[in-house]
Amino acid sequence: MEFEIDDAMRERLAVVRERGRTEARPKGLEADRLGRPIPVDDPYFKTLIERGEGRTRWPGPDGKNRETGAKSTRTTVMALLSAEEFAYWDRGVGVAQPGPGLPEGNVLSMGTDEQKERFLSRFLEPDRPRWACFGMTEPSCGSDAAAIQTTARKDGDGWVLNGAKCFIGGASRADWILVQATLDPSKGREAHRAFFVDQGTPGLGGFKIEKKMGLKAYESTSFSLQDCRVPDENLLGGEARYQQTAGFKTAMRTFNAGRPVIAANAVGIGRAALDEALAFAGDHDMLGRERVRDRLERSARKLKLARLMCLKAGWLADAQKPNILEASMSKALAAQVGQEATSLGMELLGTVGARGDHLIEKLYRDVKAMDIVEGTGQIQRVIMARHLVQLPR
Amino acid sequence: MFDFDAGDDLDLIVETARSFAGEELSPRLRDHESARSVDAGVRAKFSEIGLAGLELPEAAGGAGLGSLARALVNEELGAADAGAALALDPLGAALYPLLELGDEGTLRELALPLLEADAARALLVCEDDAALVGSIDSAGDRITGSVPWVPSDRCDLLVLLGRESAVVVREGVRLEPLHGSGLRAAGASELRLDEAPVLARWRGRPGAARAMARARIHQASLLLGVLRQAADFSRQYALERQAFGKPIAHHQALAFLITDMRIAVDGARLLLHEAAWRLDTAEGGEAAAAAAYAEAIDASLLVGPNGVQILGGHGFMQDYPVEKWMRESRALGLALGGLDAAREDAGRALCDGAEKSSFATFSFGEAV
Ligand SMILES: Cc1cc2nc3c(=O)[nH]c(=O)nc-3n(C[C@H](O)[C@H](O)[C@H](O)COP(=O)(O)OP(=O)(O)OC[C@H]3O[C@@H](n4cnc5c(N)ncnc54)[C@H](O)[C@@H]3O)c2cc1C
Repeated sequence: MEFEIDDAMRERLAVVRERGRTEARPKGLEADRLGRPIPVDDPYFKTLIERGEGRTRWPGPDGKNRETGAKSTRTTVMALLSAEEFAYWDRGVGVAQPGPGLPEGNVLSMGTDEQKERFLSRFLEPDRPRWACFGMTEPSCGSDAAAIQTTARKDGDGWVLNGAKCFIGGASRADWILVQATLDPSKGREAHRAFFVDQGTPGLGGFKIEKKMGLKAYESTSFSLQDCRVPDENLLGGEARYQQTAGFKTAMRTFNAGRPVIAANAVGIGRAALDEALAFAGDHDMLGRERVRDRLERSARKLKLARLMCLKAGWLADAQKPNILEASMSKALAAQVGQEATSLGMELLGTVGARGDHLIEKLYRDVKAMDIVEGTGQIQRVIMARHLVQLPR
Repeated sequence: MFDFDAGDDLDLIVETARSFAGEELSPRLRDHESARSVDAGVRAKFSEIGLAGLELPEAAGGAGLGSLARALVNEELGAADAGAALALDPLGAALYPLLELGDEGTLRELALPLLEADAARALLVCEDDAALVGSIDSAGDRITGSVPWVPSDRCDLLVLLGRESAVVVREGVRLEPLHGSGLRAAGASELRLDEAPVLARWRGRPGAARAMARARIHQASLLLGVLRQAADFSRQYALERQAFGKPIAHHQALAFLITDMRIAVDGARLLLHEAAWRLDTAEGGEAAAAAAYAEAIDASLLVGPNGVQILGGHGFMQDYPVEKWMRESRALGLALGGLDAAREDAGRALCDGAEKSSFATFSFGEAV
């Protein structure tokens, strides 16, 4: 056993920390104050692109775009440490980053070579900040993803999509949206298909950027698909693939990999709140009070254990071992202790917390979403219970 | 004898508050929040129904009621919009030191004029929440310091409440507007006192303690209203929203969460009513009031965030009010020294036996 990271990881983390401190934190506070997402043409995004960020992991048609650096920095564990550290500075800004984002994993695992070329090559050396996003959730269903109502109807050499999606991160600015739809709402997951819908496709519209309690730095957007026609080649993986069974599992696979990331985000947010609370308590001569110390100690302990749980889930993934239980466990717990840390922070701030201009107050609003996205806390428990006690579906 | 009924008279008042809140405040929740004030027409209606003078003595033209009435009314107003409730009440909790420590002329000179003025606000700040140069007990006739947050954009009268005394200030109060984490319908400001002249100063530990207790009842009951509404709104949503082939409320995990939220709200209400009743019947009740505020805050930690949780992603969006209640339930638990001061007072009483604690807290009949 070992509970230490190596030098390469440490260096990588130091970079994240520095960028978080100097860029993400101020950007996040600004977006929160202004109550709107960071604009598409914000110089911050341009800087990121110039620095070589916002790119795809896809090796490219010739396989040249291989990730470099030490092996340890290409692990899930490293990704989780980075996710925690970035969220420590600002989780919303982390999500706002340009790049192929959430759907990239699906495209890499399911997409045809032609689709990778068509949809990912623009992210190899992007000329400007570009985004892609994943549209699953609908106004009437989120947790029960099998019940989506957006339909895909075969029509000649293409597909016609009809339906509505909501809370989709980055939808109005995305180059393309990977839309989850069903061939037949009565058939459940096996009838699910994912389609690339290019921005500007007729029938894709009605974008509404939601007003959120927190995480204001990125847009969560609702939109509709009205007789929105996409060509055959936009069905993720091509038709042949679906002759087997994979439909719904594609989406679920993304979510599986995502849970520990959200858990790490929650730990990061919680840790930021804890540090701020410690600083505030120190400045106000509160650390001598047992009542205060006890609660800070408990919060620190819970955050640390949530982090370990989350890293374990990542470590299992790196070892290609099943991590369903650990992934759900880490998310269920981390979202909770992250929330408790921010709430404790508010308590220690007292009326300073009610001013609405303290970082902890923002963290208190931001962290709530960690118990909602990528499967709510309840859904994580349902997943765990299916494993532990064969909870019936 | 035990009786959990408030009685016809109070029921009538509560009913008045409830229909006013439901008709005038709830529909304008977001408008009042963004305007940082309550609509003039709504204010006029509030004046008409006479709730502003609820706890003023009859001699001063009020209804002469006490903390129980306040708790019942505030729950209704808080369930609709706690920020608006603060905005509508010109005297607010600032009335308590005036009543408990002031002399005869106090109300006439300081309180009654505010009832006549338009949208006036008296503010109560407890010393724990203020950074003052010196304490309010010190003898000086000017006071300097700051208060990080008050839920108001104006201050017609400021009462600073300490453990042993209270100080009244009217001039030399400066307000700097803040965004505020919640309760924006009442405004949000940082308050600064720069050599502000002390208009009156009263001393007396018992009076200060009673004023604090009544202020806690005031605050806790607004909080309770918010929690009741958050719990009930999310319960109803859960009955309508479907997932996995049934209302989400019928998934046991959510059903039990909804039940626990109800337990939290009803439990907090019992402590609140008992404490308010104790204060009204002049049998002490300071520790009970502290415990009631602490319990309401405890309940808020469960109910506020889970009101959002039950709505899932929708809860995080401002199209629904639950995110507002999550923010405001937290903010309402931060004043008057917050949870720590309340627990400190309740715990002291328990351990020091100041209130024959085991008697008041646990058992009936003779203390053993
Ligand atoms: C900030 C933010 C960003 C988002 N970004 C995206 C995005 O980029 N792409 C995307 O597709 N979606 C996104 N979402 C949507 C998110 O994935 C959904 O909100 C989430 O899956 C929950 O679905 P829902 O909102 O429909 O809640 P519902 O499914 O309606 O759930 C409501 C409540 O019921 C509970 N519940 C449901 N089923 C059960 C059960 N079986 N047992 C017990 N309790 C249950 C839930 O836990 C929840 O408390 C985002 C949401 C937020 C808040």
